[in-house]
Amino acid sequence: MIAALRERPRLSLALLAVLLAVLPFVTGVLIGQSGVRMLDFALLYVLLALGLNLVVGYAGLLDLGYIAFYALGAYFYAWLASPHFGLHLPFWMILPMGTLFAAAFGVLLGAPTLRLRGDYLAIVTLGFGEIIRIFMNNLDAPVNLTNGPQGMDLIDPIQIAGIGFSGTQEVFGLVVQATHLYYYLFLAFTLAAILFAYRLQDSRIGRAWAAIREDEVAAAATGINTRNLKLLAFAMGATFGGLAGGLFAAFQGFISPESFNLMESILILCMIVLGGMGHIPGVIVGAVLLTILPEALRYIGDLQRAMLGEVVVDAANLRMLIFGLALVLMMLYRPAGLWPSRQRRRELTAEGEVVRHEQESLVDVQR
Amino acid sequence: MCSAKALLEVASVGKRFGGLAALTEVSLSVQQGEIYGLIGPHCAGKTTLVNCMTGLYSVSDGQIRLSGESIQGLKPHAIVQRGFARTFQNIRLFANMTALENVMVGCHPRSRVGVLGAVLRTASERREEREIREAAHFWLTRVGLNAKARSLAGHLPYGAQRRLEIARALATEPHLLALDEPVAGMNPSERRDMADLFLRLRHDHQLTLLLIEHDVKLVMGLCDRVAVLDYGRKIAEGSPASVQKDAAVIKAYLGGHAA
Repeated sequence: MIAALRERPRLSLALLAVLLAVLPFVTGVLIGQSGVRMLDFALLYVLLALGLNLVVGYAGLLDLGYIAFYALGAYFYAWLASPHFGLHLPFWMILPMGTLFAAAFGVLLGAPTLRLRGDYLAIVTLGFGEIIRIFMNNLDAPVNLTNGPQGMDLIDPIQIAGIGFSGTQEVFGLVVQATHLYYYLFLAFTLAAILFAYRLQDSRIGRAWAAIREDEVAAAATGINTRNLKLLAFAMGATFGGLAGGLFAAFQGFISPESFNLMESILILCMIVLGGMGHIPGVIVGAVLLTILPEALRYIGDLQRAMLGEVVVDAANLRMLIFGLALVLMMLYRPAGLWPSRQRRRELTAEGEVVRHEQESLVDVQR
Repeated sequence: MCSAKALLEVASVGKRFGGLAALTEVSLSVQQGEIYGLIGPHCAGKTTLVNCMTGLYSVSDGQIRLSGESIQGLKPHAIVQRGFARTFQNIRLFANMTALENVMVGCHPRSRVGVLGAVLRTASERREEREIREAAHFWLTRVGLNAKARSLAGHLPYGAQRRLEIARALATEPHLLALDEPVAGMNPSERRDMADLFLRLRHDHQLTLLLIEHDVKLVMGLCDRVAVLDYGRKIAEGSPASVQKDAAVIKAYLGGHAA
C-alpha cells in the first residue's frame, strides 16, 4: 500500500491533509481532551526539533542548551501579554518580536562558542542553557522580571479575529474546544516551519552548512565564511525555539523556569537522534514518538492495576526504563535513526566505514 | 617575464611553531599567467607556506601580497574571495556529498542569496541556483568528471577525487590556484593527463598555478619557474634547468655528497 501511495504523491498528500484535519476530533472522541492537548504538545515539539535540527543536523553543531531559546520566547510572550507588566499586545506583534529576540540571543550565545567543536561546544552550550534557566529563577529581585520560581501566570491566550483561544468557542456555528483551535494554529506554524527548513536545506546556505559539518577547514578554504554561517545556524535554530516558546506560553497560560530544564534540551536532542538527524521526516517522527510514547506508557499503571490488582512497578520509573532500553536498542540496530536521510545512513553504515578506511590507508601510503 | 605583473608576492615570511622555525625568510613572487613550482624534500615547509598564504596559518614575520594588496591576517574565505584558491595534499572533499554538490559548494563565494531569498524562493534565487548548477557541471566537465556528477565524492576513485577537488577550487573562480601535490599517488599516464589539464586551465582561464610537488620530473617539464625549499629556507629559484644544476639543490636532495 505504501508503494502504491508513493507512486501517487498528490493523492497521498490529500490523504495526509484530511488525516491531519480530522485528527483532533478523532482523538477527542477516543481519548478525550487530554489526547488533543498531547497532539498540541507534539506539534510544539516538532517545531522545536526542526529548529534544533538546523543547528545539530545541518551545521553539525552539538547544542545542549537549546531549551534556553524556548524559554526566552515563552518569557518574552509572557512579558508582553500578561498582567505582570500590564501589557496585552496581540500575538501577531509579539511572536515576530519574540523570534527576533530569541535569534539575537542565539547569536549572542553562539559567538563565544565559535572556536569550539564537539564535546567542548556541547558543554558550553549546556552551561548557557542552565544560565538562562537560573536567571529566570532569580530575576524576581531587584526588579521583578520573571516572578522567580513561582513563574508567570494569567498569560493571555491567543486571539484571532475576535475568537479567544480559551474554554469553548463557537466558530462558524461549530462548538470547538480551545485545544482544537491551538491544534490548527500549531499545525499551520509547523507546516510553515517544515517548508522553511526544506528550502534552507536545498539552498546555498544549506549546502554551506553541510560543508561545514563535513570538513570545516575545507569549507573555509572553499570560500565559506564559517563564522557567519555558524552564527546563522544558531540564530535560525533560536528563531524556531523562540516561536515555539511564545506559542507554548499562550497555550499554557502559565510558565515557570521548571519547564525549561536540561532534561528538556536532552529530550529534544533525543527526538532528532531517534528520528534521524538532518532528515526532516525523521525528525518529525522522532518528535511525535517521543511526545506521545511517554504519555501512552502512563497507562501502564492502570493496566497493572487491572491485571495484577496493584501497581507493582511505578509507571514513571517504568517509563524511564523503557525509554532507556529503546535508546540503547536503537543505537545498536539503527544508529542513524528510525528514518535517516540517505546521506546520514551512508555516513554511519559499514560500507561507509570501509570506504573511509580505504581512503585513509591510501593517504597514509602517500605520506 | 620581467614585464609581467607579480600576482603573489611573499616577502621574507617566517613561521614558527613554538621553538620550531618551519619557515625562515622565505621570499618569492609568482607572476601572472605562469606555472610556478614549489619543490623540496620531505618536510621542507612547502605545505606550511601554502597554509600561510591561504590564511590557515598566521605568519610570524614578513608580508604576503596578492595583486599588490596585503592578504595577511585575512580569513581563508576572504582570501578565496580575492581570487586565491587551493587544494589539499591529503584530499579534503565533502565525502558524503555528491561530486556535483561538492563543486556547487565551491560556487558559494560567488553567489549571494540569503536566508530570505532561499526561504521565499524568489526569482533571483531560482536563477542563481540554476547558474550555480550550470557552473558546477561546467567545471566537472573541465576536469572530465561530469559523468560522475551524482556519485558520492567519497566513493570516487583516488585520481577522480584529486580532480574533483580541483574542480571545487575552480568553481570559486580564482586567478591563482595552489595545488598541493596534485599528482601524488598517480601512475605516469595519469600524471601526463593532469599536466595536460593544468596547461589547458592556464590557457583557457588565464589561470596562474602554484604547484607544490615531490615529483621533480613533472615540475621540470611543466613549470616556468621553480623555487626550492629546504628546512624552511629557500635555497634556489629560477628556471627548471638552472635549478637542476644548482649545487645546493643537489645537496638537499642527495644528502651532502655533491661537490
